[in-house]
Formats: sequence, structure tokens, C-alpha cells
Amino acid sequence: MRRILTFSTYLVRNGGKSLPLIGVIVLAVLLIVGIVALMNSIPYSIRTIYKHSKNYTGLVPRSNASVDFAMRKEIRDGAPVPIEPILVIRGSQAQVKSIVGGWPFVVLAMRQDDMRRYAKRLNITKIEGRYPKVGEAEALISEPVARNLKLKIGDPLLKPDNADAYSMFPVKIVGIAQTDYWTMMMPYEYHEKYHFPPYDSALVFAKNPADQDKLDRWIHEKFRGANVRVFAYFLLEEETNGMFRILYQILNVVIFTLVAVITLMMAMLINIYQSQRIQEFGLLQALGYTRRDLIRRVLGESIAVVLVGWILGVAAAQGMLQLVKSRLMDPNAFALDVWDRSALLYTIPVPVMIFLAAVGAIWSRFRTFDPVSVVERRLA
Amino acid sequence: MIELRQASLVYKDQGKDLYACRHINLTVRPGEFLGILGPSGSGKSSLLYLMSGLKSPTSGEVLYKGQNIAGLAEPERARLRLVDFGIVFQYPYLIGYLSALENVLVGSPGVGTRERAQELLLDLGIGHKSHRLPHELSGGERQRVCVARALLGGRSVIFADEPTASLDHTNGLAVVDLLVRHRGEGALVIVTHDPSMLTQANRVIHISDGEVVNEETSPQIAPTGLHRETIGP
Repeated sequence: MRRILTFSTYLVRNGGKSLPLIGVIVLAVLLIVGIVALMNSIPYSIRTIYKHSKNYTGLVPRSNASVDFAMRKEIRDGAPVPIEPILVIRGSQAQVKSIVGGWPFVVLAMRQDDMRRYAKRLNITKIEGRYPKVGEAEALISEPVARNLKLKIGDPLLKPDNADAYSMFPVKIVGIAQTDYWTMMMPYEYHEKYHFPPYDSALVFAKNPADQDKLDRWIHEKFRGANVRVFAYFLLEEETNGMFRILYQILNVVIFTLVAVITLMMAMLINIYQSQRIQEFGLLQALGYTRRDLIRRVLGESIAVVLVGWILGVAAAQGMLQLVKSRLMDPNAFALDVWDRSALLYTIPVPVMIFLAAVGAIWSRFRTFDPVSVVERRLA
Repeated sequence: MIELRQASLVYKDQGKDLYACRHINLTVRPGEFLGILGPSGSGKSSLLYLMSGLKSPTSGEVLYKGQNIAGLAEPERARLRLVDFGIVFQYPYLIGYLSALENVLVGSPGVGTRERAQELLLDLGIGHKSHRLPHELSGGERQRVCVARALLGGRSVIFADEPTASLDHTNGLAVVDLLVRHRGEGALVIVTHDPSMLTQANRVIHISDGEVVNEETSPQIAPTGLHRETIGP
């Protein structure tokens, strides 16, 4: 095989045959990465949009009118890690957009100092405009929210005629915070006066952000069964994973079917192409090339096709995802991970299965192959 | 050089034994031109496959330089064909995506040089077409490429299985002449049903129903493969 018959010789000189094989693999990888990455973008969006909850534990009263003083004292006295002063807030519902429709989002109603403390916690250092004034129908939102809802300073965030983001008066945006966090804030005093139901919630911050998860879990355990609902990032994770478990099982079936179809198709193509090369194989074996030489060469060709196809497929998928992100997702602040590892992992069965199919085809071809049948034109 | 001792090749046909070659005793001497003559289906091609190691005898032995070919492992037998033997098949099989020159080189990887292959193609009259792909060559030209492929590398034995079958008579004679002239020190074994292709042979054996039925020795050609006229009386 040396020199003249390297495994690339056939592939390069028979582009009409090797390119369709590579093309099928590229399309398969593109398709799988596309499906998985877009699918993953949903839980990824949830984690991105509600990432702000990583910074605090939220407590919302259930049958009690507010998170009362006793509860706050219990937290202050028993917290397993040092905590910041607890913020007493209220919340109003708004909505943000995702690729699967509207999702609820809370407008945190805070007092002036608390707004600044909260902003500091989110590392917000730059604000276009200003903070809402005490008691005014004003709001501060973050940049991703503005992009998502296509809002700018002066636009109303909450309106009397908006059922999903209601307020008795138009709550106008007076500031846009430059941060990756999604957040909305409004004055506590305005909420207290015009929003219903009138109950206080609480945000509890660990002094060290690294301790927040520990605090989250402690509070969750502490108030299990109490008249308070705990919001924490780890609960969001658990809920998201549970919500998508069945969907991912369906996805696995879809990907498996897709890989099976593509593998069968490729096995058929490989078989056809090898049948067309029977004369070549017979001649070479008759001339003195060993079966091992031929198998090694054909396997080399298969590996080259599969690898080139997969690499081009991954590159094409990256290009496609970049395009989708820049043209469709980013303008709406929709989350999409273009370097989604799990999407790439889902494509691994494609080259592996196709290679195994190629090995099967080659093995069955050469198992009983007699070059004399070719040179005598019984097979050619 | 090659010796067949009671070599038989049997095929099974619906449980019955069909002898392609039956108890053949034959010796191919170094440098000689041996013709194997017989009608279609007489077993002459099977005999060539036995001698070249493409088939193993069902019984008996095929010895090359004293070594039993059938006892060799497949890679060793393949190496014999690749290095020691040159084979020209009945049909001018070439690899479609390789040029004429590359098709010549593919027959003796690592042994034949590009320059020698080009020289051979020049000697065979198709040097100017060495860059062409097989489908750009005529049948006669393709067979010449096959001849060059078998000759490259200085083989000990050149086998040719009906090399003129796909050619007209004139081209057929030309191909045989090329094999005779360019084989150097190697022995030449040609299988054919056409006696006119063997006028330069040292010996001709006749095959019928898988058996050697007659052997003729011709005084016309010296064992080295050179014309007697060239050497002198």
C-alpha cells in the first residue's frame, strides 16, 4: 500500500463517493448538535434568567401574612454561616420571554438602601440612568431584561392594561443596570401602597457568597413544613432537572433512532462502494497484497471519512450555533451555549457506529473473499 | 525453480469432485519460456493459479525454490506474488483512479522505482501516456500497462493467463513479444488456447481435462529468453 495506495488516495481521487459519505456525517452531527443545543438552551435559559437567586435565599410567606420577626430571628441566631442583615422586600410579578414562551419573573420591591445593597451583591457597578425614587412608580432593570423585553428608559415595565405585568399605574423604567444578571427592582413604598396582596418576604445573604449554598440548604431544612416557601438556587436546579428528565429520555430515543438510521444508511453506502471496488480488491490481492493490507487500508479510509466528517460536522455545528446565537438569540437575550459539551457528546455515537458498521461490512466482504473469482471475472 | 509434484486441484460440484488439475508433474526452469496450451475449460488457468500461489493444491505439492508454497502462510504466499512473481491476467485489470504509471508501480511497491516504471512504459510504446487514467487508454494500451506492472522489479517468474484474449491477433502477438523481450532473466509461463502465441516458447505442454497430455520442446528460443538468431547458430 506504501506510498501510492495510501488510504487518502482513494478518498481524494474519488470525491464523488467520499464527499457524500462525509456530507452525511456532517449533516448528522449538525442535526444532533442543533437539536441537543437548542433543547439544552431551555434549562440553560432557566439557570441564566434566575441566576440571581444564587446570591440569596428567598423566603415567601404562605398562610402567614408575612415572614415574621420570629422567623428572621431564628435565621439570624441559628445560621450555620455568617449572614448579612436580612432584606425585607415585596414582590410583584412580571414576565420575561424565552424560546418556549413567557416565563414569570419577580420585580423586587425594595427600600432605597436595600436596592443598593442588592445591586452591590450582584456586582452592579454601572447604571444607565438612576435608581427609582422613594414611593415613585419607577423601576430599575438589568441590561438582559431590557434586551429581552425590548425596553428602554422611559418605557413602562408594569402597566394597568398588562395582565402579566400589572400595576395600577405605569411603572416606568428609570435605570438600566449593566450586568449579566437578570433583575428588576422597584420602590418598596410604591408597592406597599398600590399592590396586592400586602405581604413581606425576605432575602437572606451569606456574608461570603461561597457559603450561600450551605445557607440555602440549612434554611430549606429549618423551615420544612413551616408557613414559608423557600426559594434557593439548588431547589431551582433540582426542579429544572426533574422537569427535563423525561424530555431528555425522549431526546435519547430520538438521537438513538437518528444514529441508527444514519448508520444503516452509511452501512448501505459503504457496502455499495465496496462492491464497486471488488475488482480493485481482487486485483490487489492477486498481485500480492495481503488481506491484512487491504483491510488496513479500507479501515484507514473509513476512519478518515468518519473523522473528517465528524470534525467538519462539529465545525459546521459551531458555525451554525454562532449564527443562531448572534442573529436570533442574543438580540432577545435568549441563552444558548455554543460550546455545549453535552451536545458534542451526543454526536460521538455517530462516528463510532458508522465506523463499526464499516468494520462489519469490511469483515463480511473479506471473510470469504477469493481474488481468483475476480480475475476470472466471476465477481467483477 | 517451480516444481509441481502430483498436484491436483479439485472443486466440489453438488457433492461431486471436479478435477481442474489432476496429478500434474511439471517443472518450470529458470529463464525458460513455457507455454501451456489447451482448449477452454481444460484447466490451464487453474494450473497457473497453482503455480503462482493463487490457489493451493487439494493434493500434491507446488514447490518454489524447493519450498512448498501451499505450506506458506497467506502473507508469505502473497509476498511471493508481490516480489518474485509477475502476473498478467486475461483481462487488463487496472485500478481506475490511478494513472498508468501508478498502476505499474502498484505491482511492486518499494521495489520498482518511478524511473524504471517510466522506462518500461516507454519501451512498451506508451511512455507518453503514463499520466493517463485507465479509461483514457485503449484495450491494447491497458494490457501493455499490465505487462509493465508484471515486469517491473525484475521478477523470477512472469505468469500470463491468456494475455491476448481481449486483444486482436496483431496486438496479442505484440504483447507476447514484449513479455519475451522484457522479462530479463525471469522465466515466462504463458497460458493460452492459441498456439500461434507460443511460437517463441522453449517448451509447450498441452492440457486436456486437467491433465498434461503432451509436451513439446522448441529449439527456436534459448533458455535465457533471447532469440537464437541474436546469439548466433
